[in-house]
Formats: sequence, structure tokens, C-alpha cells
Amino acid sequence: MNLAQMAWRNVWRRKRRTLITAFSIGFGVLLAATFTGMAVYMYGNMIDASAATGFGHVTIEPAGYNRTPTLDKRLSDSARLRQEVLVEPGVKAAMVRIMGQAMFASAAKSVGGMFLAIDPQQESAEYNLLIRSMVKGRVFPNRTGTGIVVGRKLADKLNLRIGKKLVYTTTDTNGEIVSEIARVSGMFATGVSEIDTGMVLLPIDRVRKVLAYAPDEATLLATMLLDQRKSDKLRQRLEDRVGGAGREVLSWRQTQADLAGMITIDGSSNYISQFLVALLIAAGVLNTLLMSVLERSREFGVMMAIGMSSRRLFRLVMVESIWLALIGLTIGIALTAPVYWYLDIYGLDFSSMLGGEDYSVSGVLVDPVMRIRLHAESITTILSIVFGLALLSGIYPAWRAGHIPPIESLRTI
Amino acid sequence: MQPSRNLFRTLCVICVLLLSLSVIAQDSSTARAKKILRDIDDLWRGESSYGRFSMHVKTLHYTRSLQMEGWSKGTEQTLMRILRPLKEKGTATLKSGKIIYTYLPRTDRTIRLTSGMMMGSWMGSHFTNDDLVKESRMEEDYIPRIAFEGLRDGRQVILFELKPKPDAAVVWGKLELLVIKKDYLPVYEKYFDEDMKLARTMTFNQVKILAGKPRPSVMRLTPADKPDEYTEFVYESLELNIKLKDNLFSLANLKRY
Amino acid sequence: MNLLSFALRNVSRNRHRSMVTTGAMGFAGMIMILYASLMEGLFVSMERNALAMNLGEIQIHAKGYRDDPDLYTRIANPDKLVKLLQQQGFSATPRLFGFALAAAGSSSAGVQLRGIDIEHEPQVTQIHNHVARGAWLDGKDGKGVVLGRKLARTLAVEVGDELVIVGQAADGAMANALYTVKGVLKSVGEEIDRAGFFMLESSFRDLMGLPKGAHEIVILRTDRKQALALASMQVGTMFPDYEVKNWRALQPLIAEILGMADLNIYIMLVITYIAVAMVVLNAMLMSVFERIREFGVMKAIGFGPAQLFGLVYAETLVQAVVALLMAFTLGVPLSFYFEQHGIDLTNFVSGVSFAGIAFDPIWRAEVTPRAVVSPLITLFMMAAIAVLYPAIKAAVIRPVKAIHYR
Repeated sequence: MNLAQMAWRNVWRRKRRTLITAFSIGFGVLLAATFTGMAVYMYGNMIDASAATGFGHVTIEPAGYNRTPTLDKRLSDSARLRQEVLVEPGVKAAMVRIMGQAMFASAAKSVGGMFLAIDPQQESAEYNLLIRSMVKGRVFPNRTGTGIVVGRKLADKLNLRIGKKLVYTTTDTNGEIVSEIARVSGMFATGVSEIDTGMVLLPIDRVRKVLAYAPDEATLLATMLLDQRKSDKLRQRLEDRVGGAGREVLSWRQTQADLAGMITIDGSSNYISQFLVALLIAAGVLNTLLMSVLERSREFGVMMAIGMSSRRLFRLVMVESIWLALIGLTIGIALTAPVYWYLDIYGLDFSSMLGGEDYSVSGVLVDPVMRIRLHAESITTILSIVFGLALLSGIYPAWRAGHIPPIESLRTI
Repeated sequence: MQPSRNLFRTLCVICVLLLSLSVIAQDSSTARAKKILRDIDDLWRGESSYGRFSMHVKTLHYTRSLQMEGWSKGTEQTLMRILRPLKEKGTATLKSGKIIYTYLPRTDRTIRLTSGMMMGSWMGSHFTNDDLVKESRMEEDYIPRIAFEGLRDGRQVILFELKPKPDAAVVWGKLELLVIKKDYLPVYEKYFDEDMKLARTMTFNQVKILAGKPRPSVMRLTPADKPDEYTEFVYESLELNIKLKDNLFSLANLKRY
Repeated sequence: MNLLSFALRNVSRNRHRSMVTTGAMGFAGMIMILYASLMEGLFVSMERNALAMNLGEIQIHAKGYRDDPDLYTRIANPDKLVKLLQQQGFSATPRLFGFALAAAGSSSAGVQLRGIDIEHEPQVTQIHNHVARGAWLDGKDGKGVVLGRKLARTLAVEVGDELVIVGQAADGAMANALYTVKGVLKSVGEEIDRAGFFMLESSFRDLMGLPKGAHEIVILRTDRKQALALASMQVGTMFPDYEVKNWRALQPLIAEILGMADLNIYIMLVITYIAVAMVVLNAMLMSVFERIREFGVMKAIGFGPAQLFGLVYAETLVQAVVALLMAFTLGVPLSFYFEQHGIDLTNFVSGVSFAGIAFDPIWRAEVTPRAVVSPLITLFMMAAIAVLYPAIKAAVIRPVKAIHYR
């Protein structure tokens, strides 16, 4: 009989032990898949939400803007850049925007904040968190009017209602202080206090006029992708094509460094935990395999005595560990599938733990319902790592199998 | 002090012309008021001014009195300087067009006002830096009309109503000016928010002869929601149409005291 | 012969098997100690950053200050309050706040002025140790100021540069003065990073014309065993005219996050322990089932079930004890290494704030008694639980079946 069959039979000679060990491998797969999947889901959402607050997944902006954002820095051919970006595969939308600081005043009071000047034709609730969170009124209909969309808390502070006016004051490209009137066309409530008190949407052409920008100038071009994981690749491609000439192409990792940092830390702690658990499971697998080898010393001794090479024995035990790993993986998949299905459909609802408050991290709203998202690469990575570890654990026992001194092996354990 | 002076000048101009046109039927159409305004502006465009005045501010937390002097040329250039008290002497504000600079003698630094500071109070008063900039644009920003002309409280008065143009970048819903026909002395100016709720009131009192004409020498601004607080300007002297060099309104001159 | 020496003999008889089992458990224990230390380190650094940099444990404000921070809404006699608090066993420090414009060269920014009592502040917070460049405030240098990380960048200033502050003083006059940047802080949290302008209390009072009063008193318990809620109630009764709140009430979100982090850590530990339990279960099961014939013979010659149970148990416990020793001798030094050196995440992270708390880019372990003892105890318990099934199996063996077992 061939090695594979022999190994298979050996593995099943000790059903209980094999099953327990395989189960622990399966458990490892379940753990890795669940934790990775939930984290990926959460991070993906946060990245998408954060991208929708202004910069997008990939941003083209004037050189130096990321460090010191001032209104005098601008891109000069925003329409052409937008066309260049839209032809890239995977790009859902590209939006030309102006971002800056301003004072917002009504007869009651004045408050400082930021404005995002947009073209309502280019934007939608999907790509713009503020539009998505509208609670009253509508976005202004065109780019040139005097509409403004404000956060609900800002409206409260300034005592504003739909249709009421406010005056915003900012500094134009010539360094002059300029003011403009605007009438509230809609209000949003994102749940993040800083955004609701400090951000507004304005029509981009009107703002261009106010700031003395040329008709094609803007602060940045925000790109939204179908899959945020492709951000770095797109960033590189765009940089190759349109970089230089006073422009920078940045991904969300750079424009939203706080979020990126938090994801890295959380992700690292996640990975380290999983790694440690994997080590533990590997130790268990090693234990099992070694025990099974040691108790068969006699058997191996006999086999070697009748001419089986130690290399063949090594291969035999390695194949046993492969079988064990495969069984483990199968159990793992069987365990993970229902958990995945449940989390994908229902998710874990943490909103009661948060007491109904909205929960924001680095200014980004976090969905209190934890779901899961596993990508093909994550699955293959997890499976291969688990498989690899199981195999690694088998090396020493397999080596041991071929190197038991024949005489010693004839003694019973 | 520039805001009321220019306004005051405008009002007086309106009054004078109205007086001379009193034979014409009293008609409160916007077109008439506008025309009057334009004609007045032509007649009364004061080329320049110099005045000495004191400012008294009373708020919940402090009471403050300053003695100041101020120059103006046309509508765009203004320089104001604190003379007393000693610890603030030399502090000066220069307005050139829409740009405002403040010189601070204690640190010997000149700072240019940023858009973030525009809504901040000017020298601790109830006026904002923005008021300083906006007052010279009153004629461009508002549409005037005569709301009432006749007897009130035993005096012949004219009540003007100024509504902001739809595109004007002003926070107010409307302004009301009450003026006594004789000598065209302003009585009050009221600022209303967009819901027509009174936000602040400026009253004019203590008529004196200044620059050859009877004018109110005391102007007091009171916020509607804090009636115990006020900012008051008291004019001590005023000269109009004097020769002023352009370099008076320069950054270098800001520092000299 | 007694059970223990029997157990010991069994264990040493199968050196290989015992070594492997003990080794697996010991390795597991070592990993758990390392993991627990890393998690303690993470938790400690989060709490430290949140509280010890700025928040303290309890804060006193004049009523209405928090809703509408106003220069004039003050605590009248901060020195008296601080003394009273010290007599009751607390550390306390007063703070003054104001808003102003800072300008340097052609850059300007709105800042939050923070007047610091440099004698008392180090008793309550650790911010004086958190300077990235330059030095902390010095009582003799009234012109020296310390800036938040992002503020220094916005103003494009470095240590030694001069800047001017312009604001409105308490009497309505324009407050203005020149200062020199003495130090720039590491990341503390969003607000301080962006607008934190630290100056001596005396400099603040001079600038803003506020000779008396303070806006905030920050308090730390010196007796850490006293419950926080009790402590804040005690302070509250001491000063009924003011608003007294502990940090959980002031920043419920941070409390929430730390709570979730705690929960997260627990979950990971539980999972890790389950993995350990499985290793132990596996090892002990194998060890019992291999010797089933042996046990059958023993039963046949008169060993009772309780004795067999006890035997298996004793064997496991002996191995567990050895494993604990191994875990301890390997795990503790390893964790200390990570306490000293930490895991360097600076390539990925550079000054991160998460819900307003700054994160240290170097992840250090913290070797606390809890991080060492709790994994060891749990390991022992896991072993004790895991071996129940095999031990019971050994106890109920039918001798004849066992002898024929293959």
C-alpha cells in the first residue's frame, strides 16, 4: 500500500485522539476566521465612513496640503484630473471639493468651523456622509446658488431654521477677508458631535467666486473605491500618472492618520493574540504527533529493522500530520460556516452596551452591530497558516520516527 | 468712531435732502429713498475726518473707559488709536479696505485680523471687528425706504427702514432708523434679526455743535438680551474735510505714538 | 505505597511522554503570561494616557462652567480647596483656562491657554514627563510655554522660537504678550495636541488680568484602594457649592472604551485558556488511554476506582506543577524583556488618538502580579478540569474490557 493510505489508517487508529487534536485545529481556524473577519468588517466600515467625510479613499491634493491645510493651496485642473481618475478600474466616484475654515454667524452668535464645497451632481449619500445623514430639508440643487447644509447642532447654536440665512466669513486667495450670505436648505445629524457643530456643505462654484479661485480650481479630488483595500494600489497608479506638478496623491492612511494608526494598533493586538493562540494549538498538535510517534517506537523499530528507510518513515509521519491538518481544516470550516452565516445575517448587536449613544472613534461613527466580512485572501491565508503550522509541528515527531535506536524501540513504552 | 460717524453722516445727508425736497409729495417708495441716498452721498461725501472721543463699556464683568482719537479718509481708510489709559496707550486699529490691522504696543507687534477674529469684540466693546468692516458697505448692502413720516411724541420724525439686499452678506433682517426732521438728528437705530426680533439698539443723545453743525455727541449701543450692558461713544471734538496724507493710513504709522 | 509516590514513579517512567505533556503545558503557560503582560501593558497605557496626562480622577468646576466655559465662571478660593483636599488624603492642582490667538511668523491659530500650577500639577498628572522636544515649564521662566504637538506644527515653531498671544483680558482690554517655546509635547489627545498652550499660572494671571480664582481643580486619590465613587462623593460633600465629577462621568466615552478594551482582553484570555485546556485534555487523554491495559490490570488486582481517579489526578497535577514552574521561569523574563523594549509600532503609527486618548506607538508589556499569577492559576485549573474526563474514565474501567482494549 502507498504511504498516503498507510498514513490515513495510522491516523484513524486512535480515533478519539485524532478527533480531539483535529478539533483543536478546527477551533483555531474558527477563532482566526471570526476575529479576523469581524475586525476586517469593522475596519472596512470605518474606513469607508471616514472616507465619506471628505477625503475619500484616495485623494489628489496640492503638495504640502496634508501637513498644513490652507486655502491658498489648490489644484488647478480639477475637471481633467477627475476624468483621469474615473477611467481607473475600481473607482466608484471622484468628487471635486474645496475644504476650508470659516466663521459662521447669525444675528445671535458666531461659531467657527469647516466647510466642504461640493458639486451636488457629483455627490450622493453613498459617498458623502453629511448628505447621508440629512434629517431635514435637502441639499442645494446646483453649484452656484446660496444654499448651505449645516449640522443640526450648529443650527441650534446659531438659532437657524430651514430658509434662514447665515453669513460665513473666510480668507480668500489674496489674503483678504471675505463674507458671503447663505440660506439653510437642509440639516444633517451624523451623531458625531464635532461634525454636527463644526461642518457645513456649500456649493462649489459659489465658494470659488468667494475665494477668488479660478473656475477649475479646487482643494482636492476625493476618490471612492468599490473595495477600500485597493486604496494603496490605486494611489500608486494615480501618482505615476498624474503626480508631480505641485500635486500629491495620498491614500486614507495618510489623510486620516489617526484612523490608520488606530486600525494598526487594534489589528496588531488582534494578530498577536491570534498568533499566540496558534502557537498554543501548534503545541497541542506537536504533543499529539510526538506521543503517537513515541508510542509506536516498537512498530517503527520493526519497520526499520526489516529495511524501511528513516526517510520513508519521516515521510510517513509527515503525511500523517498532513492528514491531521486536513481533517482539522475541514472541522474548522464546518465550525466556521454557521458562525459566519449568523454573523453575516444578524451580527452581534452591541448597541445596548453602548447605552444607545453613538460611538465614534477618531471622529468616525462605529456601527454598534458587529458583522463579519471575510475575503478570499483572508480565508486562504488563515487556512494556509494553520496548515503550515500543523505541518511544522509534525517535523520533529517525523524526524524522531526515523531516528529511534532500534534496540530501544523494541522495549515497550 | 467710524461706524456711527459714517452712518450719522449718511443719515444727516438723507435728512437734509428730504428737508429741501419737502415740497415733493411724501412717498415711501424704495426708488425715491434710493435716489435720495445717492444724491445725499454725492453732496456729503466727506473727504476726511479727525475726531477725539471716549468709549465707555459696561458689561456684567467689567467697566471700561478709553479715550481715543480717530482719522478717516473716504469710506475705506480708518485709523483709531487709544490715548488713555496709560497701559493701553498706543494700541491702534488700522482699517484699509477690508483688511484690519491691530498694533499692540506692549509686545510691539502688529497683527492682521484673521477671518476667525472678525466676530470677536472690538476693543472689548459690543461692536465686533466685522461691524468695523461692514459699516462702510451699508449703502451697498441695504435697500432703504421711508416707513413713516410725521408727528411722533410731539416731534416731526422720519422712520427709515433698511432691508438687506438678498445677496448682501449681513446677518440682520432689517434696520430701523428714526430721525428728527429738524436738523436731521438721529434718535435711534435698531437692528433686527431675520425673525424681526430686536437684537440691538443704538441711541443718539446730547446734541452739540460738532464740525459746525448740531450733531448727537453721545451714541450708545445696547444689546437687546442684556439691557444692563452698553457701549457708549462720547464725541469731544470733530473736524471734517481736513487734509490727510495717505501715508497716515500705513502700517509704519500704526506704530507711532 | 502512597498515591503520590506512585504517581511520581509513573510520571518519571515515561519520561518522553511526561516531558512532552509538561512541555506543552509549560509552553502554554509561558505564552499566557506573555499575553497577559502585553494586555496589561496596553490597558495601563490607555488608562494612563487618558487619565494621568490630563483628566486626573476627579474634577471640580464652578457650576455651569462645563456647559459654557467662560473666563469669569471660576472657583473662588482654589488654594484653600487644594489645602483642604490634601488634608483629606488627595493630591490636587488648580488650572486656569482661556482662549486666545497665537501668532508666529505668518501663521496663526486659535489656542486654549492653560495656566498650570507647576508645584502641584506633577502630583496629579504625568504631563511633565510627556515632553517630546525641549523641556517642561520652569517656575523661573515666566515666558516659557509648552505647546501641543499639532499646534507647534500649525504654527511652524520649534523649541526656542518666539510667538505672540492676543486675547481679551478679564477687564476687556486686549491681552497680548510674547512667549518663547520651551517644549513641545508628545501626543496626549486631540484637544491638547491641536490647541494646548501650557503656561505658568502666574503668566496666565498676568496676561489675562485674573489675579484670583481657578477654572478647574484636578484631583488624584493618594490611597488607590479607596473606591473612586466613594472618593468623588466625599469630595462632593466637601464642596457642595461646586460641581464635582469623576472622570467616568466627565468622559463616559473613555470609560466605555476602556470597559470594552477590558472586555476584549477577557475574551482573548478566555479563548486562550480554552486552547490551553484542549492541549491539556488531549495530552491527558492520550496518557490515560495508552495505559488502559495497565489500569485494567491494576483494577483487577484490587485498586479501587477512587484510587485510580486519584492516581491519574496526581499524575496530572505533578506535571502541572512542573509546567507552572517552567511557565514562570520562562514567561516572566520574557515578559520583562517586552516591558523594557516593547513592540515597536512606530512604523505604522505616529501619534494616534483614539476617541481623544493618545496611544504610545511602542507597545510595552507590564509585568504585574495579576499578569503572572492569574495565568498560572488558570493553567492549573484547566489541567485539573481537563483531566476529569480521563480520570473518570480510568476510574470506571472494567478490568476485563481494559485488558483486551486495543
